[in-house]
Amino acid sequence: MASATTIKPARGFRSELARRGAADAARCFQCATCSAVCDLTTDDAAFPRRQMLWAQWGLVDRLVADPSIWLCHQCNDCSTRCPRDAKPGDALQTIRALMVEEVGAPRFLARLVGKASVTWPLLLGVPILLWAVLIYATTGFAMPQGPLIYGEVVPHHLIYLVFMPSFAFATVAAIVGARRYWNAWGDGGTRSGSLLQGLTGVISDILLHKRFEKCGAALPRRFGHIALFWGFIGALITTSLVVIAMYGFGAELPMPQTHPLKILGNISAVLLIVGAVSLVANRVTNAASGTSRAYDNFFLVLVIGVALTGTGAEVARYVLPASLAVALYVVHLGVVLSLFLTFPYSKFAHAMYRTLAMAHQRMAVQRRAP
Amino acid sequence: MSPSTSKPMLVVGAGIAGITTALEAAEAGQEVVLVEREASVGGRVLRNHQYFPKMCPPACGMEINTRRMEKNPRLRVLTRTQLESAERTGATWRVSLRRSPEYVTAACTACGDCSKACPVSVPDAFNLGLGKVPAIRIPHVDAWPRRFVLAPREACPSGCRLCADACKVAGAIVLDAKETHEQVEVSSIVVATGWAPYRMEKLPELGGGVLADVIANVHMERLAAPGGPTGGKIVRPSDGAVPKRVAFVQCAGSRDVNHLPYCSAVCCMASLKQAMYVREQIPDAAITVYYIDRRTPGRNEAMLEKLAAANVQLVKGKVGKVQQGSGGALVMHVEDVEAGRLLDVEADLVVLATGMEPRLGGGELPLPIVRDGDGFALDDRAARLFAAGVARRPEDVAASVRDATGTAAKAVSSARSV
Repeated sequence: MASATTIKPARGFRSELARRGAADAARCFQCATCSAVCDLTTDDAAFPRRQMLWAQWGLVDRLVADPSIWLCHQCNDCSTRCPRDAKPGDALQTIRALMVEEVGAPRFLARLVGKASVTWPLLLGVPILLWAVLIYATTGFAMPQGPLIYGEVVPHHLIYLVFMPSFAFATVAAIVGARRYWNAWGDGGTRSGSLLQGLTGVISDILLHKRFEKCGAALPRRFGHIALFWGFIGALITTSLVVIAMYGFGAELPMPQTHPLKILGNISAVLLIVGAVSLVANRVTNAASGTSRAYDNFFLVLVIGVALTGTGAEVARYVLPASLAVALYVVHLGVVLSLFLTFPYSKFAHAMYRTLAMAHQRMAVQRRAP
Repeated sequence: MSPSTSKPMLVVGAGIAGITTALEAAEAGQEVVLVEREASVGGRVLRNHQYFPKMCPPACGMEINTRRMEKNPRLRVLTRTQLESAERTGATWRVSLRRSPEYVTAACTACGDCSKACPVSVPDAFNLGLGKVPAIRIPHVDAWPRRFVLAPREACPSGCRLCADACKVAGAIVLDAKETHEQVEVSSIVVATGWAPYRMEKLPELGGGVLADVIANVHMERLAAPGGPTGGKIVRPSDGAVPKRVAFVQCAGSRDVNHLPYCSAVCCMASLKQAMYVREQIPDAAITVYYIDRRTPGRNEAMLEKLAAANVQLVKGKVGKVQQGSGGALVMHVEDVEAGRLLDVEADLVVLATGMEPRLGGGELPLPIVRDGDGFALDDRAARLFAAGVARRPEDVAASVRDATGTAAKAVSSARSV
């Protein structure tokens, strides 16, 4: 049997898959309706039928070597038509989460976030508590006289001291994970061109959510996702420009509400809230959008938390007693920190892995082109 | 107690299962009343061109059965008859039968003069509505009893008497015939009401009811049969052209929680059989069967070799979509599972292998039938209410006959245990 293939099933994978909300994948009988009705699948690496088989068998090495799961947007056309109600859309969602955990570094943190259903109080509470302790140690929460300026209670240098290393850590962890995954997908033999070329090739697709347009059953999700996506970009741009304004042009904080950067920031916050609320509403009302798990919800809660506590703190400065406003601000800083630190392991990581998978796909197609 | 003194048993439905049950019981000495709502017996089996695995036309087997029925004094066959009500007291079922008006009587010689005179065309019920026939006609060429039928009567123009005037046999056509009712007491009831094809209109994503050249397997039987609407010529419905690429889509509405959750048991063999019809008529046609699993149990397995020899392709993968392509072609979207590739394949004629639904319909059948999880009938020995054939489970003709024989034994023994 020279042609025999030895498979290495991971024993715990199936139970983990079931625990993480994809138990119905066990019903799949490989009819391939899912691949045939999917508008996003690629002709030569069809999904999700093969992935359902690998998941049933616990073939983690094949799943981790397969970028195509990230080309799935969980439109759920497959789940709607599945004759066994095996919910391939939900299964791929869970498989993606498990793969993020699989390549995540360091592994224990990836596991911690992967079990967000249990660990969420820790993931949220520790960053908030950390801020409270640090602020207490620095200024003792001494409330300044006159109008409340957060910078006087929480000095900017403390913010840099916490966020810069956190950001650096998250970046390094993300790069390590991305490298592992990228290498698992293939080497020079499966792709052609540079990563940069690959990324520039898919950028407009991402900015305009073009692939999302093909989604059938879950199309309503696209609106929420676009709003959320651009809210993030807006918030990122705002933050960068504020730092430049402060140190390049000596701008004073807080900026007046009429300042263009303030307006940009507020628009971004509104987009974040509208997007997140729309996504939550869709999950609740649209059965075709699939099942929500704690892992997915955790990320959504962080996003809503960041936007609500941010805008809340902004308003609280004028309307609430200083102590309450500062408390809200501390919660805001904690949620933002949690969002940063969990980025490489939470659902947030899809921003990175989906982008890479799209670039990979483009480079792989180029390689095969005559 | 001797069998002749016991009450008769009632068999509902004169398809292959009902006929077999009735004959086996009658030949064992049991009085039997067999009722059939259509004007002639034979049910779904007679609508097949050929049946597997021997690929013989059903008419010859049916002829043996009709001869057995004619010979047996203990069997009463009532066509045009439906169950109106049924009530059980102890070991006795009191049953009321409704017989639709006997517009054409036993005097009919099936000469055809009435048909020629008839000015009205109606959908051909025997051919599943493919094609039209006069309102008065022989139901089909092998009809038993061999007698014309006028149906639906509502199709007749007001006051029209052309058929009766054309008829030369006295008393053969009675246009003012009335519905009649009859009460009988029976010892047991056998439900052999069979099945209805799962409606392909429920599969619009596969083109069912939407695209003219997407047909169901039951239609293919009629297209291939000499008594069918095309005289036995397999053509595509849209333009009557001979299809050069014919595709069979298996499990169309079966093994699917969105449709029928169970396997309909016969569709694999039916499609393979129909692939042979196509091969015989169109030697150069490209024929492909798209399947999830090939279910050819027992000696049916031999069919696969015949198909390979006939160059019929079998591709593992359920078709997800059928759409209109260019130049009149249909396009099927399917994953070739063994190759791991997605395909857009063109076809001229797509046959959906639709499954079987039990025909135990609500008000149609006033019987307290106990059903299984899929809606098929279960035997209720205490109530002396039994099932035979596809009313019990999806099965092919041979299995249906075996089941019916067993049911006859159960029903006879219960009738004698009074």
